[in-house]
This record gives sequence, C-alpha cells and structure tokens, in this order.
Amino acid sequence: MSFREINSKMVEATVLPGQRLFSQRGAMLAYNGDVSFTPSLQGGQGGLMSMLGRRVAGEATPLMTVEGSGTVFFGHGGHHVHVIHLSGDTLYVEADRLLAFEGTLRQGTMFMGSQGGVMGLVRGQVTGQGLFTTTLQGQGAVAVMAHGGVFEIPITPQRPVHVDPQAYVAHHGEVRNKLSSALGWRDMVGRGSGEAFQLELSGSGTVYVQASEEKL
Amino acid sequence: MFRLQGSKVLAVDMTGDAVKAKNGSMVAYDGQMAFKKLSGGGEGLRGMVTRRLTGEQMTVMEVRGQGTCWFADRASEINLVQLQGDKLFVESSNLLATDAGLRTGTTFTGLRGASQGNGLFTTTVEGHGQAAIMSDGPAVVLRVSPQYPLIVDPGAYIAHQGNVRQSFQSGVTFRTFFGEGGGEAFQIRFEGDGLVYVQPSERNTIAGDL
Repeated sequence: MSFREINSKMVEATVLPGQRLFSQRGAMLAYNGDVSFTPSLQGGQGGLMSMLGRRVAGEATPLMTVEGSGTVFFGHGGHHVHVIHLSGDTLYVEADRLLAFEGTLRQGTMFMGSQGGVMGLVRGQVTGQGLFTTTLQGQGAVAVMAHGGVFEIPITPQRPVHVDPQAYVAHHGEVRNKLSSALGWRDMVGRGSGEAFQLELSGSGTVYVQASEEKL
Repeated sequence: MFRLQGSKVLAVDMTGDAVKAKNGSMVAYDGQMAFKKLSGGGEGLRGMVTRRLTGEQMTVMEVRGQGTCWFADRASEINLVQLQGDKLFVESSNLLATDAGLRTGTTFTGLRGASQGNGLFTTTVEGHGQAAIMSDGPAVVLRVSPQYPLIVDPGAYIAHQGNVRQSFQSGVTFRTFFGEGGGEAFQIRFEGDGLVYVQPSERNTIAGDL
C-alpha cells in the first residue's frame, strides 16, 4: 500500500502520477522525486458546500494536496503514527489527528448529536472533540497520530468496549458510541476514581486507543 | 493476570477479582468494571494520618469486575515486577498498578528522598503478586550483590526490591561551590542482595543542578 511505517513516528508514502494524497499542512519531513504540495483551500475533498460544512463544524484542519511522482516522508510533532487500512468501511477520527490519507477515500463530517442525542452532545464537550467528527470512507490507507503507541481493541456485539474519552483515537466499523457516565455520590464529594466518563462502543468493529491520556 | 500489550499498555484480565491502579489511568475496558477511589499509605485512620504527614498520597482506585482492563499513563514505559513475599520500594509517581492482594505502605527515606526530588518518603509494596511500575523510557534492571554494590543517580532511580541497604553518597567538592561541578553531585549507593530499576532519563533533582 502507499503508506509504509519507517519507525513508530514516521511514515513513507509513495506518490504515483494520477494518485493524490492529502496530508496535514506542514507535516512533510522530506521527499524525493518530483512532488508538488498545494495547500488545499477547501481543506479536503468535496465541493464548496463540504468546505463550508467543515468550517462550520470546526473540523477544518489545514490540509494540503500531494501530487506527482516520488516518495514523501510524513511526521508531526514527534507523535506516534499508526496506519489504518480501510476496505470500504468508514473511519471516524478527529480532524487534528489526521496526518495523511489517500485521495481514494471520501472525506465527510458527521454531527455527533446524531449518535446518542443529548448525550452525544455532552460527549463532544467532555472529550474536547466538539460536536463534529471527520469520517473517511472507501478503499485506502490513513495515517493517524496519537500520543504514545496505539493499540486496537476489537468490538463484538457480545462484548462492548469502554474507552477513556481522552485516550480514544478513532474507530471504524458498525459501531454505536455513547457516553456513559459512572457519576456517583463519590464524585460529588470529591472522591471520584477519575473515571467518571467513559465512551461506550458497541456493535462490531475496531477501536484505536492511545497509551496516554493527553490530547494532541 | 497482568500482561503487557506493547511496552506502554498494561492489560489486566479479571474474573471478579480486583486490582489497585493509579487514579484515572484506565484507557479502555470490556466486560463489566466498577471503579472506586482508594487512598494510598495504608488503611484506616493511621493510613490517613500517614498520608497527610508524608505527602506520599498517591490516589489509587480499585478496579473490580469481569473482563479485560487496559491501563496506561502519559505514554510511560511499563515494567512488570513479580513479588514473592519480598518488598518493593517505589516512588508513588512511578507505581501504575498492583494486585489487590498486595499491601502498600509508606516508609521514610531521609536525605536520599530529598535528593531525588520526590520528598522524604517512598511507597512500599509487599506480599505475593504482581505490580506494574512506570519509567520514562525502557527501564533496566540491575543486580546488586554483596561483592558488587551499585551506585545510581537519584534522578534515574525508580524502584528496588530485595534485601538492599541504601546509603547516600555525595561527590560535592570545593569545585561544586564554584559552579564547576560535574552534574553528578549526589548518588545513591545500594549494598546487599537485590534488584534496582533504573530509567534512561533523569528527573529534575537538586543533584542534577550541582
């Protein structure tokens, strides 16, 4: 595939003529060959309407288009990079965690409130992710960033998985997510265990979790 | 029970039993889990007084349930320690999780503690079971035997176990006072028989500035 992990913090992408890549602006470390970087004013794919959508949603991380032929190295801020391969399904990820993705993937924005109603909105506030999240759909690879290493936990209908909102990175598959709160009287009197809010993911798919509770 | 998933994530498989872990260090779980806050430094009133006095108040939570729970803290490297009735001395900030069956307490370390930038007290873990300690970078385990005492930089020390005596040694000379110190003014000397865990990174200590 077009992304290859050089080490845990750097990926190498092969760019071929006619194939586009999108990457976070300024994330290029080095390249060889004949490659051009164009700031993507629209911040991704789609027409003017999807650009406006992203602006409104606050999911408009500056992106650039990478075209030409050669190899490009990506990395950003010393964060760990994890490559996720998609085959037709949808990946839900925060826009600022996206390092690079292939042009074959369709980018979209999803309103979190549509999953879980009011709790979906609270979820966005608690996790600091806002009310919207970015979706990537189709065939291709995505490089996402995380603080510390990333590990995958499979989700099956029998076994829902609970994730600390701060350690959540991304998920894909047919997954419903809702914020479950374990607030009890202990939290009210300042004796909480520090795990008052959890993200409950159920359905079937995979969730990516980072080994740290720090945001990017 | 305890297993490492990569070097930075601790996975604990539980079947109705409990573990003690640093507050807020859970990153994910499946199955059913309940989280309850505990307080370090021992149980009961005596423990409470100890915590107030020593400042060694690691906030601990008890996790009980069925399933797998994953722990991680600020992308620190995690090391597993197996205890068979012996005692582990560890800085509370470096302790991630222990079996619920292990007793934790607080001991006085004296001047050595102050030089490490961690206060005068340290946490002890005692009993039979497993503990997970954290380090900044992968830790090395160094053996101390009666013939081979070990000298460690206070800022790089994270834990030790076994029958080990520790003393404090200083390399302060007149040069140090003129600002010509080598940056290694204080060391901890371990003698006896046991293991010392050292991290490849130094905390900010008084010794590091001299």
